[in-house]
Amino acid sequence: MTEQGKSCNWALEINDLTVAYNSKPALWDVDLRVPEGVLLAIVGPNGAGKSTLIKATLDLIPRAAGSIRIYGKPYRQARNLVGYVPQRGSVDWDFPTSVLDVTMMGLYGKIGWFKRPGKKERELAMSALEQVGIAHLAHRQISQLSGGQQQRTFLARALVQDAQVYFMDEPFAAVDAVTERAIVNILKELRERGKTVIVVHHDLQTVRDYFDWVALLNVEMVAVGTVYEAFTNDNLRKTYGGRIAGIGAASGAIDVTSTRDSAEYAEVGDAV
Amino acid sequence: MLIIERMIIDILLNFTSIEQLNTFMAQPRNVAIIVGALVAIAAALPGVFLLLRKMALTSDAISHTVLLGIVVAFMIMVGLGANPDLNSPLLLIGAAAAGVVTVMLTEAIYRSGLVKADAALGLAFPFLFALAIILISHYVDNVHLDEDAVLVGEIGVAYANINVHCYEQCDSITITPDDARAEFGRRCTNCSAGGLSPRDPEAEFETYCINCGTHTAAEAWRERLIDSPPVQVRWPRAITTMGLIALVNIIFITLFYKELKLVSFDEALAGALGFRPTVLHYTLMILVSLTAVAAFDAVGSILVVAFFIIPVATAYLLTDRLSLIIILSPIFGIAGVYWGYDLARGYFWGLPLDGVLQWLDSIIELNGYTTWNTSISAAMVLMLAAIFVVVWMMSPRYGLIATIINRRLRRLQFEDQMLLVHLYNHLGGEREAEELALETLHQHLQWPRMKLERVLARVRLRQLAKIQHGQVYITQAGIEAVRNFAEQNLPVEHQEQIIRAVGD
Repeated sequence: MTEQGKSCNWALEINDLTVAYNSKPALWDVDLRVPEGVLLAIVGPNGAGKSTLIKATLDLIPRAAGSIRIYGKPYRQARNLVGYVPQRGSVDWDFPTSVLDVTMMGLYGKIGWFKRPGKKERELAMSALEQVGIAHLAHRQISQLSGGQQQRTFLARALVQDAQVYFMDEPFAAVDAVTERAIVNILKELRERGKTVIVVHHDLQTVRDYFDWVALLNVEMVAVGTVYEAFTNDNLRKTYGGRIAGIGAASGAIDVTSTRDSAEYAEVGDAV
Repeated sequence: MLIIERMIIDILLNFTSIEQLNTFMAQPRNVAIIVGALVAIAAALPGVFLLLRKMALTSDAISHTVLLGIVVAFMIMVGLGANPDLNSPLLLIGAAAAGVVTVMLTEAIYRSGLVKADAALGLAFPFLFALAIILISHYVDNVHLDEDAVLVGEIGVAYANINVHCYEQCDSITITPDDARAEFGRRCTNCSAGGLSPRDPEAEFETYCINCGTHTAAEAWRERLIDSPPVQVRWPRAITTMGLIALVNIIFITLFYKELKLVSFDEALAGALGFRPTVLHYTLMILVSLTAVAAFDAVGSILVVAFFIIPVATAYLLTDRLSLIIILSPIFGIAGVYWGYDLARGYFWGLPLDGVLQWLDSIIELNGYTTWNTSISAAMVLMLAAIFVVVWMMSPRYGLIATIINRRLRRLQFEDQMLLVHLYNHLGGEREAEELALETLHQHLQWPRMKLERVLARVRLRQLAKIQHGQVYITQAGIEAVRNFAEQNLPVEHQEQIIRAVGD
């Protein structure tokens, strides 16, 4: 990817973003700069504004202040650079349609208004389904899918978008171990192809294994950076707040034990 | 409107004669069924997406609040000094606006976070409906908007509400005194002024032309000024209105099929891809409002809800393919209209209901209530519901009967499998002789003996097991069946266990 001008250095650049629901801030003066070609996890307790951050980036909800640039352009002009995987629970899986149909929805943006998907689109969708390993389910009714298969369908739908930056809202939520591994592999493959993937993530335990960048968010942005720099006990405590009891021997750098601790923070955070 | 009607008639006249067309349209039954079928088509199409978006009851709300739109449109017409008219396009605009206001108000109440979505709907539409009722009683007293029209519509008399289109001998005739057809009379010029009787010698007379002036073609024929009657087509207005709305809905659903599907399934992605979910949402709501107000005349504002929902719910029972649902829903709607009309007129699939009532009267006292004549639109809705019930029972996948049969089949299959797995697991084992003995097998499975015999008979019939020397053995085909069942029904690890256990 050629880099033109300084703002193009960032795949995603968010400046001073504030979003409010009924004058209650969901995101408060958030800055986030993500370089191209990284896997970034957004972590934080429930109600920290993780999904809100993605939705605001995709212009799905109005923002009170701030600017968002994708490869230096506002979202409207960068739409075809962006792939989106909403939360699996946000749609009705009893909807009368097939896996292939859902996958092709990722191409609707390129097809544009009025026109219908054709043979070419079907082939693209099939190859995306092969990539996520459920090509044999292409004509299955989506109501008959397991949770993992649903998530793979959503992933295939994002893959056909052939984007530069992917936003995924909790793709690992309630999927089986096999699917989780498959998704991780696809994420790493995307990174190798120079794509940027931004994932809302809940499981602190796997952050170090799956991601190379992390953003710790709790309405305000606590820390952003490589996992090595930003994913520290200190930052986790700031993110998850005083609700975490028994942090115990808080050390500076994270080791294996403290990652296990942080998984407990997540549980505490979820419970609150 | 008239131009469109004329175009439709011109097209139809390629296939039929004016005389045939008039005879056909003079039949209340034909017109009622055509109008009803158009209502069914127009309502079922947006109905599909209402159901998909879990907004079925929004159609109920809108069909009530369009009344507010109608009333406000009426008031504007009166305010502008125009003659209030139930066919004015202003009415459609008012209805569309009322629909949008209903949805917006509901969403605003919901977003305030004070109540849940269903309660928000329940708050918004009775409020707007009440407003409409108060406005009607205060300002539009003299207008024909009675309860009957609101409740059940007037589809039965749709044939009588016509526009006349003239095709031949249409010119108006002007008779001048020098025309051969002019007729003359004499009248007294000073009688009334002078208080004179015409017989009075003082009375003065003049000759005047009785039929001079301009006559429409119909008047000219009545006066026999022309030799043959004007050739006219009498066209029921409701067909044009409903037909137009149906056409608009068909075009909208066809053009935006892909977009509507995406927005209904995944609004977030639709927004991210730039498909304007809000615009599509409100367009759909406007179409629902227009359909409701157009169907208002025909089936009333309450029963139109049934046309939005029931045929779609019926199609839903039969298929998982959206395109097929869109095609099937109007068909179920039309079927309900067709049989519903006959039902209202006293025939249920050719069975005269009057006869049934009279027969019942002869057995039990019906107090002379022996004529069956009921509201047409109500009967249509009744038939829609009846079709739903029939499909619900008969549907091959989700139907009641299919479910019962499937459950029974699965139970039988499971019994077979339990026996086969037992036979399989103990085949060649240490206690084979004891476990597989025909005499005691039922005790090992803890089954009543009768049940074992039943199950054994079934698996033997399918040659999955055999009896040799008082022992029950599984056959090769039985082993296959156990493996297949394990593969289809058990998680991978268990499958392997079973297959290992069975295979060794």
